[in-house]
Amino acid sequence: MGKPSSANGKKVTARVAVVAAGVVSPLGFGLTETLESLCNSRDCVSPVIRFSVEQCRCKTAGQIPDDRLLASRGDVPRSRRLHRASHMMIEALKEVVTQAPQFKPELTVIGTTSGGMSYGEDYYRSLHQGRRLRRAPTWIANYPAQKPVLDAQETFGISSPCQVIANACASGTNAIGHAFECVRSGRYQRVLAGGFDAVSEMVFVGFDSLQASTPEKCRPFDRNRTGMVLGEGAAILALENLDLAGERGAPVLAEIIGYGISTDNFHITQPDPSGVGPQQAMERALQSANISADAVDYINAHGTATLFNDAAEGKAISRLFDGVPVSSTKSMMGHSLGAAGAVEAIVCLLALQHQFLPANINFGALDDHLALNIVANEARPAVVRTALSNSFGFGGTNASILMRKSEA
Amino acid sequence: MSLAIAGMGWVTPLGHDVDSVWEQLLRGHAASATKISEQFGDRLYSVFRVPESAMAGSAHPRLRRASAISRFAAAAGLDAIKAAGVKLDSEKAERTALVFAISNGGVIYTKRFYRDIVEAGAQKASPLLFPETVFNAPASHLAAILGITSATYTLVGDGAVGLAAIKMAEDLMANEAVDYCLVVGTEEIDWLLCDAYRRWRLLRSAPPIEPFSEQQRGMILSEGAGAILLAREGPFTIEFAHPGGSFTKRAEAGKILKRILSDLGQRKIDLVISSANGTFIDQAERRALEQVVPETLVYTAKPALGESVGAAGLWQVVLAAQALRHAELPPVLHAHPGITLRLSLSRTPMAGARRAIVLSCGLNQQAAGLRLAIQC
Repeated sequence: MGKPSSANGKKVTARVAVVAAGVVSPLGFGLTETLESLCNSRDCVSPVIRFSVEQCRCKTAGQIPDDRLLASRGDVPRSRRLHRASHMMIEALKEVVTQAPQFKPELTVIGTTSGGMSYGEDYYRSLHQGRRLRRAPTWIANYPAQKPVLDAQETFGISSPCQVIANACASGTNAIGHAFECVRSGRYQRVLAGGFDAVSEMVFVGFDSLQASTPEKCRPFDRNRTGMVLGEGAAILALENLDLAGERGAPVLAEIIGYGISTDNFHITQPDPSGVGPQQAMERALQSANISADAVDYINAHGTATLFNDAAEGKAISRLFDGVPVSSTKSMMGHSLGAAGAVEAIVCLLALQHQFLPANINFGALDDHLALNIVANEARPAVVRTALSNSFGFGGTNASILMRKSEA
Repeated sequence: MSLAIAGMGWVTPLGHDVDSVWEQLLRGHAASATKISEQFGDRLYSVFRVPESAMAGSAHPRLRRASAISRFAAAAGLDAIKAAGVKLDSEKAERTALVFAISNGGVIYTKRFYRDIVEAGAQKASPLLFPETVFNAPASHLAAILGITSATYTLVGDGAVGLAAIKMAEDLMANEAVDYCLVVGTEEIDWLLCDAYRRWRLLRSAPPIEPFSEQQRGMILSEGAGAILLAREGPFTIEFAHPGGSFTKRAEAGKILKRILSDLGQRKIDLVISSANGTFIDQAERRALEQVVPETLVYTAKPALGESVGAAGLWQVVLAAQALRHAELPPVLHAHPGITLRLSLSRTPMAGARRAIVLSCGLNQQAAGLRLAIQC
């Protein structure tokens, strides 16, 4: 493919390679464990143990076990004070740095929704209950949303400027999409991009109060779906100008080829039922990549399993695509909010590398109002050259990225 | 690529109009501190609040359940568009991006939502409050009011996040499909924030904020919003939006500030709008300013307006633009006379002033800067 010069009005001077990637999620630590969980269509949702869910409808979430997450914290300065979210970011960045030790980012763009929220909860609860606040300075200093990003950078001696995007559940995809545009425009050569979030009581109860989360299994696009389950995790991708990556002999894991963003302004928590917002984001991603819908081989849907999201997204997908395989991997690991788009970009990356379609588990029968080709319950081999990943969030923010199999 | 400021909006404890706030600063006025009390004890905190009168006439149906942070942001954003003389019809709105800068976010509703959980249990948690606790709630309200359907981003960070948002806007404006980018910084006050900053040893109990004082007695929090509408043409050019960087220890802040100032100071600079707020930031900025631009006039408005964190960077840009437009700097309030910097200690005319640096050092490891020039 030759170098395009413009796409959707955007200046294009470079192709964008993913040269390293790191992930920690309920599916596992690192790319290898994540691939194994995906190939086995493993259900990684479990009962919530970090706080009481007695009064909540939903009792489960996709969670990262602390015994593993905190096992290597002795290697990290001040690690006992750091929030779990910082440890997730450190794990994800460690995998990136291990793969690409020469990668020196000029910019870091990371999505999140709640940073170190549980430290804010500890602080408020202690104040409220009149307990001693000996740990308050630690909670306060490690609560800000940008802190886990800075902690991870500090651990590996990175001091590049950070843009921490909080676009609700679209944050991770927005971060990767914006980073992609920064490299593609030629303004930057190397950017770290990704997302993180850790399960917290306040956010868990928030979704429960909206009756968006389910007491049952998470069944995206199923006619009997009853809602989402939350998850957590962190994922980071190292993006680099493809030509420069080639010159230094860096392995190219995949290419990012398109990004679309839209805002639908319908309601602060609900998507426009027509699906216009998701449709615009996907159309803009296709225009940005300068490809037609026919070229897409797999769609990793936002697929929260709420009635409204899946209806709107399903309509938008079926209007644009004809029988393209679709799955929501949130069925396996829950919805990790600001991390979701980044973790799901890793899922697409693995699907492109290993030529398979990840599954939409807990699936019984398709919603009668949708016309989708769901990858039901089991992963299967397939030719996957181009994958689309969707993320949509509160505030009507919608984002889609397109990734392509590496030609190398 | 040319990046210009076409319009500005300002909601501050001194009012809600760019020129009237500027006039008060020139006269050496400071906002009046009010006391707010903590919920679980007897402690009182001094803060600079936006007066109710400043928000009169700013109501919008979309904002009837929204927190103060969203109302401040909407008022400042709409003012910036009005000042630019731009009517955002659907075609223009489609080609307009929105970038928000936020630090603490909707703390009032977040606290209320979590208080209900702690006091009454999860079943009493309000589904109406929860969506307003999300960082991008203010941006989504303003996007809906303006009919913006393209790129909307909310950036979170410390006091440097406002300039980071402008840097991101510059990246977005590199896209020829974007004609305008509205950048808004906004913040609201609550006693919980005061308690947190006090425990972090960054807050003082009562005014004044003493800028650049070696005693570092602390800051007073304030609230409000600042907004600039970026376009290809306008009366002020952003010549260089510096990406800044992060520092791991407070003692290292001066090093990165020095680098930012050195990069921005490649052209003749007439003034620097500093982020000095009575904390450790001041000494880091002082050292960097003394080493890189020792002869340049320095101004900080934080003794008069307080520390508005997420809004602060946008306020500083508005200050820089106003100083260049009026060729004059207000007096820096409550500065000790022995400070070796070239501070604007009284109303200071600057005939022919052409360029300003805005320098921003956050309390949580981030720093940024930009260089602004007025069109001749």
